[in-house]
Amino acid sequence: MARVRVKGSPAFYILLVWFAAVNGLRPLLTVLSAALVHECGHFAALRRCGARVTGFRLGVCGAVLDSNCSRLSYADELFCVLAGAGANLLAAVLCAAAGNPYPAFTGANLILCAFNLLPVRPLDGGRALELLLSWAAGPAAGEYAARWVSAAGALALASGLAYVMHGSGGSLWLLPAMFGLLAVSVRECAGRA
Amino acid sequence: MTTVHRYGKRPAQHRHRRGRRQFWQFMICGTVFVALVAAKLYSPRHAATLRRAISGAMDRNMDVQEVFASVGRTFAGENAPAEGLREVWNAVFLPSGGGTETGRTVTETLSGLISGNASETLSGDAAEPPAGDVPEIAPQTDSEPPETLTRHQWTETFGNSTAFASLSEPWPETSGAAVIPEASVDDARPEGQASFLYTGQNLPQNVGMEQVLLNFDYQSPVHGEMTSGFGYRKHPVDGVERFHYGVDIAAETGTDIVCFADGVVTATGESTSFGRYCTVEHVGGFTTLYAHCDRVTATSGATVHKGDKLAEVGATGQATGPHLHFALQREGVYLNPVYYLAG
Repeated sequence: MARVRVKGSPAFYILLVWFAAVNGLRPLLTVLSAALVHECGHFAALRRCGARVTGFRLGVCGAVLDSNCSRLSYADELFCVLAGAGANLLAAVLCAAAGNPYPAFTGANLILCAFNLLPVRPLDGGRALELLLSWAAGPAAGEYAARWVSAAGALALASGLAYVMHGSGGSLWLLPAMFGLLAVSVRECAGRA
Repeated sequence: MTTVHRYGKRPAQHRHRRGRRQFWQFMICGTVFVALVAAKLYSPRHAATLRRAISGAMDRNMDVQEVFASVGRTFAGENAPAEGLREVWNAVFLPSGGGTETGRTVTETLSGLISGNASETLSGDAAEPPAGDVPEIAPQTDSEPPETLTRHQWTETFGNSTAFASLSEPWPETSGAAVIPEASVDDARPEGQASFLYTGQNLPQNVGMEQVLLNFDYQSPVHGEMTSGFGYRKHPVDGVERFHYGVDIAAETGTDIVCFADGVVTATGESTSFGRYCTVEHVGGFTTLYAHCDRVTATSGATVHKGDKLAEVGATGQATGPHLHFALQREGVYLNPVYYLAG
């Protein structure tokens, strides 16, 4: 099995400590466990499709699996992209079916699933949208549509996070995500995503 | 085997872009650092205000675990969707103690301090009581219970209307030694003070004269001369003897008023009687009031520690000179703050 290079940015570790400091360890462990389930879903799907995973990057905007997907078909790549959210959904269903002993874990998986399915690149939903449209109408049309949907979605999501921070009078650990989404929106509009 | 580079760029291009990004990151961080240092040097007051505002925002936080749990319970069918939505909303915007912060809103804090139908009036932002309401409250005799609990949210929180009437302290006519009213002492008072033997019959219902032991560290909120003590006194405006629910400490305008003990700022505001004021809730059900401030620097909802600056001494509201009106309350009962002002 090929070696997977894991790399975490300093900003990621700072955000981790910040999140733990303001929310406590339990929410941090809940989020990390749901994120692990998500990435395991991607990893398993990529392995299933024969793609090679070369690295695992952790940043303030989330985790990214580096892989060589160039040989995958649209269907296989779509499967790999949606596998993370699917794994989260599966984990939530299994946990709920088992009597829901950890409702926070169930909820975290569902929220991560829903969040990643938002049509904003580089989230899974944005990539899935691009793949679907590219598959249906060609790469150019897929790229064009995904760009503007992503730009609008990122802007809406950043506004939503700003509203949450304003409404809760804090929760500033959401700031990096908000600025990241604003940057995504700008980059998409500029066609540099 | 073909080497796949991230973003599909050539290594040299990638290094170039990375270097440029790091340069701009350095420039932005440097600019922010220089701006903050400059602000601190040229306007320390604004810098301190900014620091407190940011600290307050850093402290406040949604209850993330409760958000997850609510979604999980709703998904598992343990909660109705509407109930789950309400729980999520409350966990995000009205957390009851998630994370490391109390997360309570001013409304909740006030609701906890009062009882009965008074809480029904606590809608909207209780941190800003309408100033116009205060002077309209007619003075009462001190031994009467509060006429109603629904006239003013601040009245409900910090005593009856007598408290308002008693706040128009004389200045500087009443300057003199501190008054420490005790049940057995009726003549240890400066000139102009009413003579009272404090008994259960003549004390207002919401006043306790005993010295309560505080199980936390505390300190005097301001250093200065005490000009009016806790207890009955002749009102400087109408000459009627009324109960003074706090102590007045004279100090220069602009003198720092610091927090009595660790706690959470539960309200800041301005009224025609109190002037600019703020209240802080401490552990054990204790609440302190700092009134007549020239400027309140604390923000509502912020976690504060003993000795943290809350405001500056002023003469706003019904005051004839710069001083701090300091009141201490435990679960609705006013206590004599003079016992705790030596620190």
